Amino acid sequence: MADNTLFGDNWLKLQQQYWEGLTDMSRKAMGLEAPKQNPWEAAMDQWWRAVSPAASDPSRQFMDRLMDQGKAYFATVERFTRGLAGADATGNGWDALNKTFDDMQRAFTDALQGNFGMPGSDPGGAAEDAMHRMLGFWEMPLDNWQRMMSSLSPMMPGDMLRNMPHEQVKESFDRMLSAPGLGYTREEQAQYQDLTRRSLDYQRAFQEYMAFFAKLGVQAVQELRELVQSRAEEGKPIGSARELYDSWVACCETAYAEQVSTPEYARIHGRLVNAQMALKKRMSLMVDETLGALNMPTRSELRTLQDRMQETRRENKRLRRELDGIRRQIGERPAIAASAAAPAAPKKKAVARKKTAVKTGPG
Amino acid sequence: MFPIDIRPDKLGDEMLDYSRKLGQGMENLINAGEIDTGVTPKDAVYHDDKLTLYRYRRPSDVAQQKVPLLVVYALVNRPYMTDIQENRSTIKGLLGTGQDVYLIDWGYPDQADRSLTLDDYINGYLDGCVDHICDKHGLDRINILGICQGGTFSLMYTALHPSKVQNLVTMVTPVDFKTPDNLLSSWVQNIDVDLAVDTMGNVPGELLNWTFLSLKPFSLTGQKYVNMVDLLDDPDKVKNFLRMEKWIFDSPDQAGETFRQFIKDYYQNNAFMEGTARVGDRPVDLKQITCPVLNIFAQQDHLVPPASSKALNGMTGSEDYTELAFPGGHIGIYVSGKAQKEVTPAIGNWLNERS
Repeated sequence: MADNTLFGDNWLKLQQQYWEGLTDMSRKAMGLEAPKQNPWEAAMDQWWRAVSPAASDPSRQFMDRLMDQGKAYFATVERFTRGLAGADATGNGWDALNKTFDDMQRAFTDALQGNFGMPGSDPGGAAEDAMHRMLGFWEMPLDNWQRMMSSLSPMMPGDMLRNMPHEQVKESFDRMLSAPGLGYTREEQAQYQDLTRRSLDYQRAFQEYMAFFAKLGVQAVQELRELVQSRAEEGKPIGSARELYDSWVACCETAYAEQVSTPEYARIHGRLVNAQMALKKRMSLMVDETLGALNMPTRSELRTLQDRMQETRRENKRLRRELDGIRRQIGERPAIAASAAAPAAPKKKAVARKKTAVKTGPG
Repeated sequence: MFPIDIRPDKLGDEMLDYSRKLGQGMENLINAGEIDTGVTPKDAVYHDDKLTLYRYRRPSDVAQQKVPLLVVYALVNRPYMTDIQENRSTIKGLLGTGQDVYLIDWGYPDQADRSLTLDDYINGYLDGCVDHICDKHGLDRINILGICQGGTFSLMYTALHPSKVQNLVTMVTPVDFKTPDNLLSSWVQNIDVDLAVDTMGNVPGELLNWTFLSLKPFSLTGQKYVNMVDLLDDPDKVKNFLRMEKWIFDSPDQAGETFRQFIKDYYQNNAFMEGTARVGDRPVDLKQITCPVLNIFAQQDHLVPPASSKALNGMTGSEDYTELAFPGGHIGIYVSGKAQKEVTPAIGNWLNERS
C-alpha cells in the first residue's frame, strides 16, 4: 500500500478485514455470522469527508458519483456473496442461488406494497440490509427525478411528497376539497384547495412512477436469473465481481428498455411531468398574488413585458434587414459587413455575390 | 455447471483493488484543475444578442476552400462537443480538409429570451450569420453543416432560403420524429407542452439532462462511474472523462416558445413527415432544397435513431443526395477515433468535390 496516496491505510485495513471475513464465510461454509454492520461504507464516507475539501468543485461532484456507484457495486457483490455463502453450507448451490433471486424479487414486490426504500421498513438483519442497499441501485432513476425536481422547485424539496400516504386519506381529502369556499376569503380558500388537490395529484403520479419501477425490478431479477441459467448451460460461469455487477446492470437496462418503450410508461411519465407542472404552476400563481399584494412586479407582468419587447425587437430587426437589402441594391455595403475584411476572390465554382433582392419575409 | 464461480480469495482482492484505485485516483482528480474545452484557436466575428459566431483559424499548411462552412449546432448542450479535445475534434478535422469553418454558439438563454421563437432562430439569428459570412466573403451562398437539432434547423433554413446554401450536410438529424424506436418521442407524446412552458417559461437544462439520462439510467448514472475507476490512474484519461462529463451536464435552458414549437410541431405532430412544418408565417417545404445533400447518421444512435435521419431520403428536391452510415452512437460520431478517421474526411471530401 503506497504511503504517498491520499488513501487511508485504516480504510483499506477495515475493508480487508470485512471482505476477508465475508469470503472466509463463503470459503469454509461454516455458517459463521457475518458482520452485521458494513465498515467499508462508513469508512468510505469518513475517508471521503476528510479528503474531499481538497478537490475542486467539478472533481468533488464527480468523485461523489464515483463514491455512490462504488457503494452500489459493493452492495451488489455483497448480496450475492452472502446469498451463496449458504450454498456452500448446504451443498446445494442452486437452491441458495434461487433463494437469492427469490429474495430480490420479493423485495421488489414488497416495494409495490409501499415499502420501497422506506427507512424502517427493513427489520435490520445484515442480509436484509445488503438487499436494500443493492436495490438502492434501482433508486437511481427516481433519485435523478427528485434532484431535477428540487432544482426546479426550490420551495418544494424533491422528496417532500414522496412517502405521503394518500389512499387512506384520499377520500376524506377529496370531500374536503370539493367543499365550496365561503365568505370574504372565498378566493383564497379556493386557491389553497386547488394547491392541495394538485399536490395530491402529483403524489399519486409519483407513487405510480415508483410502482412502475418496482415492477421493473422484478423483471430485471428475472432477466438475471435467466442469464445465469444460460451461463450454466453454456459452461461459462460468471467469474468475477465486476462481471457479476456488469451482468446485473445489463439485465436492469434490458428490462428497463423493454418497459419504458411501452404506451403504459409513456402515460405514467407524462402524468408525472404534467402533475409536477400543474403543481408548480399553482405555486407560481400564489407567489405572484403575494408579490402583487406587496406592490412588486410579478412573473406574469414580466412575461407580458418580455413578449412585447421581443415583438418590438423582431420588428426592428426585420426593418434593419430590409434597409440592408435596399443598401445592397443601390451598391452600398450594409453595416453588418462594414467592418469585415475585404472579401476573398471567389473560386471558380463558388457563387459570387449577385445583386440581392430586398427581403420582405419575416426575420 | 454452477453459473457463478467467484473464488473467495479473488473476490477479496478484486474489491480491495477497486478501493485502492479509487483512493489513488483522487490524486489525479484533485490535480485535474479546470476543465478546458474547445481546443482549436478561433475568433469571435459576429454577435447577435447572446449568439456568437466563431471563425476557426486555418492551419498554415492547408489550402483553404473559398466557400465557407457554417456549423449549426443544436440548442441542447454546447457546441464545444465538436472540438472537445486535441485528438477528438470534428472542427480540426474539417479544417484539415481545407474548410473555412464558422460555428454558431447560441449562448445560454435566460428568462428574457423566453419569447424567442423558431422564426427568431431560423430567420433571425441563423439568417443573420449566413448574411454576415456571405458579405464577408463576397458570396451569395455558403455550405452548412447542421448537427442534431441544428440539422433540423438547417433543413428548415435551406428550404426557406435555398439560394443561400450551396451544399447542405446534416449529421444525426431527426427528420421523422415518430419512428417506433424513438424513445424520446414516445415519452413526449403525453406531455402537456403548453402547461410545461407556461409554467416554467424557459425549459431548464436539468429537465433535459434528466430526460437524456433516463434513456439508459443504470449505465449512464451508475456503471460508467464504476468503470471509470479503472481509468483513474491515467491523468489524461481523467481529464478526458471530466471534459465529457462537463459537456453532458452543461445544458443551456431552452427558450420557452421555441421549445413549445419544436416539441409540438416536430415531436408530437411530426411536421416534416406530415407536411405541416412552418416557421413564422411561412410553410417549410423540403422540396425547395435543391442543393447537394449529405445526410450522415449513426447506426447505434439512441437519441436520433437511424430511421429518423434516413427518412430524409426522397423528401428534398435535391438530385444529389448522399447518405453516410457511421458505425457508432450519437456522441461517438464526433469524439471517437473512428469518426476522426472516417466521418470528418468524408465530409471534407464531399464538400471539396462540390465547391
